[in-house]
Amino acid sequence: MTRVAVIGAGLAGLVCALRLAQGGADVTVFSRGTGGLHLTPGMIDVLGYAPERVEAPGETLAGWVAARPEHPYAQLAGAPLEEALDWFRGVAAPLRYGGDLAANMLLPTAAGVARPTAMAPAGMAAGDLRGGRRVVAVGLRALKDFFPAYLADNLRRAALPGGAAVEARHAVATWSPRPGADVQGHYFARALDEPGARAGLAAELRAIVEPGETVLMPAVLGMRASAEAWEDLCERAGAPIAEVPTLPPCIPGMRLNLLLTRALGEAGGRMVVGPEAVGVDGSGGRIDAVRIRDAARVRAVPADHVVLATGGFESGGVELDSYGAVREPALGLPVAGPPGGGRGLGPRHLDEHPLMAAGVRVDDRLRPVDASGAPVWGNLRAAGSIIAGAVPWREKSGEGIAIAAGHRAACTILEDT
Amino acid sequence: MAHPLHDAVRGSLDNCVKCTICETYCPVSAATPLFPGPKYVGPQAERFRGEGPSPDDSLTWCSSCGICTHVCPQGVKIAEINSIAKAEMAAERGIPLRDRLIARPTLAGRLGAPVAPLANRLARNRLVRAAVERAVGVHRRAALPTWAGRTFQSRTRLRRQPPGRPGERPAVVYFHGCAANYYETHTAEMAVRVLEMQGLDVIVPRQGCCGLPLQSNGLYPAARHYVRRLAGSLAPYARAGHDIVSTSTSCGLMLKREAREILDMEDDDDLRAVSGRMYDICEYLALMHERGELRTDLLTPLDMEVPYHAPCQLRGHGVGTPAMDLMRLIPGLRPRQVDAVCCGVAGTYGLKREKYDVAMAVGEPVFGQVRESGAELSVCDSETCRWHIAEATGVPSVHPVAMLHRSYGLG
Amino acid sequence: MGCDVLVIGGGATGLGVVRDAAMRGWSAVLVERVDLGQGTTGRFHGLLHSGGRYVVSDPRSATECAEENAILRRIAADAVEDTGGLFVTTPADDPAYADRFLAGCAEHGVAAEEVPVAEALRREPRLNPAISRAFEVADASIDSWTLLWGNARSAREHGARILPYHWVTGVLRDGDRVAGVTAQDNRGHREVRIEAGFTINAAGVWAGQLADMAGCPGVTVVPGKGIMIAMNHRLVGTVINRCELPGDGDILVPIHTVCVIGTTDVKAPTPDDLSIARDQVQEMLDAGEVLVPGFRESRALHAWSGSRPLFTDERADGAQDTRHMSRGLALVDHLERDGVEGFLTITGGKLTTYRLMAETVVDAMGEQLGDPRPCRTAAEPLPGSEDGRPYWLGSRLRRQEEVMPDDQLICECELMQRSRLEAAAASRPGLNLDDVRRVLRLGMGPCQGGFCTYRAAGVLHAIGDADGPRADELLLQFLHHRWLGIEPILAGRGMRQACIDDWIFQGALDVEHLPVTPPA
Repeated sequence: MTRVAVIGAGLAGLVCALRLAQGGADVTVFSRGTGGLHLTPGMIDVLGYAPERVEAPGETLAGWVAARPEHPYAQLAGAPLEEALDWFRGVAAPLRYGGDLAANMLLPTAAGVARPTAMAPAGMAAGDLRGGRRVVAVGLRALKDFFPAYLADNLRRAALPGGAAVEARHAVATWSPRPGADVQGHYFARALDEPGARAGLAAELRAIVEPGETVLMPAVLGMRASAEAWEDLCERAGAPIAEVPTLPPCIPGMRLNLLLTRALGEAGGRMVVGPEAVGVDGSGGRIDAVRIRDAARVRAVPADHVVLATGGFESGGVELDSYGAVREPALGLPVAGPPGGGRGLGPRHLDEHPLMAAGVRVDDRLRPVDASGAPVWGNLRAAGSIIAGAVPWREKSGEGIAIAAGHRAACTILEDT
Repeated sequence: MAHPLHDAVRGSLDNCVKCTICETYCPVSAATPLFPGPKYVGPQAERFRGEGPSPDDSLTWCSSCGICTHVCPQGVKIAEINSIAKAEMAAERGIPLRDRLIARPTLAGRLGAPVAPLANRLARNRLVRAAVERAVGVHRRAALPTWAGRTFQSRTRLRRQPPGRPGERPAVVYFHGCAANYYETHTAEMAVRVLEMQGLDVIVPRQGCCGLPLQSNGLYPAARHYVRRLAGSLAPYARAGHDIVSTSTSCGLMLKREAREILDMEDDDDLRAVSGRMYDICEYLALMHERGELRTDLLTPLDMEVPYHAPCQLRGHGVGTPAMDLMRLIPGLRPRQVDAVCCGVAGTYGLKREKYDVAMAVGEPVFGQVRESGAELSVCDSETCRWHIAEATGVPSVHPVAMLHRSYGLG
Repeated sequence: MGCDVLVIGGGATGLGVVRDAAMRGWSAVLVERVDLGQGTTGRFHGLLHSGGRYVVSDPRSATECAEENAILRRIAADAVEDTGGLFVTTPADDPAYADRFLAGCAEHGVAAEEVPVAEALRREPRLNPAISRAFEVADASIDSWTLLWGNARSAREHGARILPYHWVTGVLRDGDRVAGVTAQDNRGHREVRIEAGFTINAAGVWAGQLADMAGCPGVTVVPGKGIMIAMNHRLVGTVINRCELPGDGDILVPIHTVCVIGTTDVKAPTPDDLSIARDQVQEMLDAGEVLVPGFRESRALHAWSGSRPLFTDERADGAQDTRHMSRGLALVDHLERDGVEGFLTITGGKLTTYRLMAETVVDAMGEQLGDPRPCRTAAEPLPGSEDGRPYWLGSRLRRQEEVMPDDQLICECELMQRSRLEAAAASRPGLNLDDVRRVLRLGMGPCQGGFCTYRAAGVLHAIGDADGPRADELLLQFLHHRWLGIEPILAGRGMRQACIDDWIFQGALDVEHLPVTPPA
């Protein structure tokens, strides 16, 4: 069996490992800790701003990458992306992801912005604001990461296509799973896995909601990797409810993490959490083993293929040192920094910061390449935000790149074996 | 307290990006609002600790299970920061007699072993346990081990080979720890037989306590003394090229990493030599399998489903779940990993009168899955977790080598 | 509005002056163009000088610092942490300086005692092990905002009025006499006229501009700009000074949860120039490395710059480079100098000597008015410091432990609760998040506002202090201001945090597309 070491357990790493395991490879994911899915709001962004708000991501992408040959989508837009999203929809079926490349939804954020995204779990997609909507934002008194009045206030001023408008008001529910004024979202979510708890919250919601309104709630309606708690709550409350992601940790991202790690285990994949990849051994242009540092020592783990999915700056997949140099610390790969050199940071917070797009450059089989464009190792691939050229949080492109790259990396490995 | 936090531990708080992932996994804060969570008491509170009295009390609810460090994607040594801060607080406020007693398993082991039948009867007597709870603070229902009578050490005189002597077969050192010496001698016997089955000679040098219970109860100077003594007795073997294999995940981890980081013993040459050669037994056997050296041909079928709990301390090794990989090699055996992070006992935490209820609440998801499995036994690498799980569920719990032992037809 | 004394400038000196004057029984008003402590006072490193730093280069300042240090420990205990200080001779320092230092300390009343190197290293394990000598002094760290609020409260209790966000637009003249000012009230959006029997210019680094407005040209206050960098946690618990003539990056000050490396000294084109030059950042990091090996790998949190008011005039011997200009206080008597009555300027000095500066100028005013009244500021503690107990690092954590289940933790890094935010908003309606930061340390910890900015804006909106557009503005403004101090030092773990924060603000909240325009 082909042995594949996947380094990193974020969305790209898990997608890649799962696809490989399904394809019959012997996969081990090595990850320094839990992957970054806990921090992501759970939507699948493909392209949200380019830089104007994108209505049809599939259509916009073609022209967009033509103008940006250095962008990860230059290798992924079109068939690889479409196949990957179809596959993902199947894998994530228990969360019932809706939406596609044809049109972006506009989902409310906790700050009351109508935010474009391509796909979202059913519980979030229920809040799609296109065409206007009457909503009541309902906060939870002990949850400090969601401000319903502020959300409603901004949503009333949100710019929607076709001059559609949102009618919004707000309320606060007092139900809480534990005593005290400060209860974090994951305690709410775990408690709401139990029908008894849902009954308590639903009773309050019934008294709040008016006919024709959609309830916008913080995305804490159940921790399990399914849409069950949300559906049940809608039924009990007698009104449509839409989940709005809060500050991290974001429960919808955690659900997706749970779903993918379980599926990986069931498909025979292995996860080794804790150790750090510190290098590779290889010769003749091919890697033989990944060097992994565990509690006591560095050991060489034999591998036929390696996928690097350690993320961007946010997770230490790429590092900026105090002298301004950018490095890829795990395997020491060549890094493409900000185009045109320089520091690549703008003077204002919401400026463009080209430095943040730094990462490794890859070929059409997602193999990291050196300055001349040649693959550094024949059997090494990169997936996710370690690939240079995107600022995902700005473009709203992160999950699309991660899923497409993870899936594509797995497919090219399976083709090679 | 004069002990400066080691840079590798305290300095790691710089890695914290406040993502809160650790708190979503913390089994203690999930079970009780008394514990505000590892981020709060760890990298967050640590910035407010300096000269003067310890400012925070909620820290005492941390069980030191280590899950937080394990899941942290940024490399913050959260559990280690908390352990050191707890020890400083304990040193400043005084360490209760109870903690000093349960921190010395060798003492209880030595006292109980010669009178094992009596000791075991007393340990299971309700009146005695109620009196012990009142007098010392060990919870009356907390799981205590069963004394074995003769220690494993006293039975294995024949395996006292000196380091480096060339034998016909490669030799490994077996580090049994206190639990397998005084209580679970059968686990030690099985481990030796399974290792021998692989064509290895097994050396069992004299060895004492690794100091982990002392460390987790804040008795750092004594813990360092124990570590030095133990490392001193194992180091000659490590230097002579023998691997050291342990059936105690927590004691093995202590010698691999925790003593170096938490007790600030990075400079101890003996310990470094031992760390580099220390393996958990399942890790060791799985690596042998990876090299094609494990005798899978001799494994006979075991047609059964067993729930397996990967203990917190095993996660700290960073080697995945080799027990699952090994059990999957046994024809017919269907190991199912329990979907919960911690059984609650966390070494000595669950023994304490004031912590017992929290420990039981932490472990409930594990207990529930073990009970619901309907299996005749459950599997877990760590001895204190096994005792705790067995006591809470009524289902016997064994070390993974017991499954190999059985499959090899050794008994 | 009328008063006996009008004070211009809401930094430490101005607050010290208004308190002093009010305590002596004069009716007093203070105007500040922005928030209290938003200028030099709030932009320093936090060092309460023992005087050791100036024993060789500026002995008068040294003695003043030593005396004021002892007074502030008494009257402003709440703002002072008794960290103690060490002067250490590093391999990069002239070993001969140490003996001159010791002699200077003895001569100028600065307590100093040599400690064995091993003892210094035991106390500060991260300190460069290659130091050759170490001296213990009475340095401490001082929170300038706590000091300011204490002065402001005390001044108010003595009847003074304090008006932040009042921008002086003109100085009133009555013949040869300064008779008050006109000011733009930037919160009430109206012009106010304040008539005063006497006006004291305590505008610090802006004092020259104010003197100009009053028709007293030629008061030259050179902005000696310095940058400082706060590190994520305390690498040292004691103030560490290089035992050398004052230079760049030679002090490391533990204050609150951080330690601050400072500072540079360059002549700035204007006092409003707060830019942070990249080469100076590198210089500070290198300097930190000399004191604490591995400093560069530690996480830098935030950088800022502040301008010292360095007073020169043609009569002084005139050092041209700011590092060598005196740190001594400067009293300008405009009656004598310009023939203008009812107007004094007090500038120069240091935070450590703010009280002495106030005493000096108020004494001079009394003399000019022919009404000398005794100063009591050295004896009477500031509100909050009555018990004489110094600040303790653990106090915020202890407090959080006490209120834990019943209050919400809004800023987790610096342990700021919702009730405190609500109380601040109630006492100062319309405050912005930077004002909150100065009072409650919002957003000053590791995440630099990543998690607390949305919460704080949400709370101010929820309690009706800000409507939707205002909450948006507060949020974006705060993020932008944080960025100014993050961007110049962005590296390592700080870069990780900045990207996580962007995932939150741009990824999860999409604040770029809030229905308001981001601040310019």
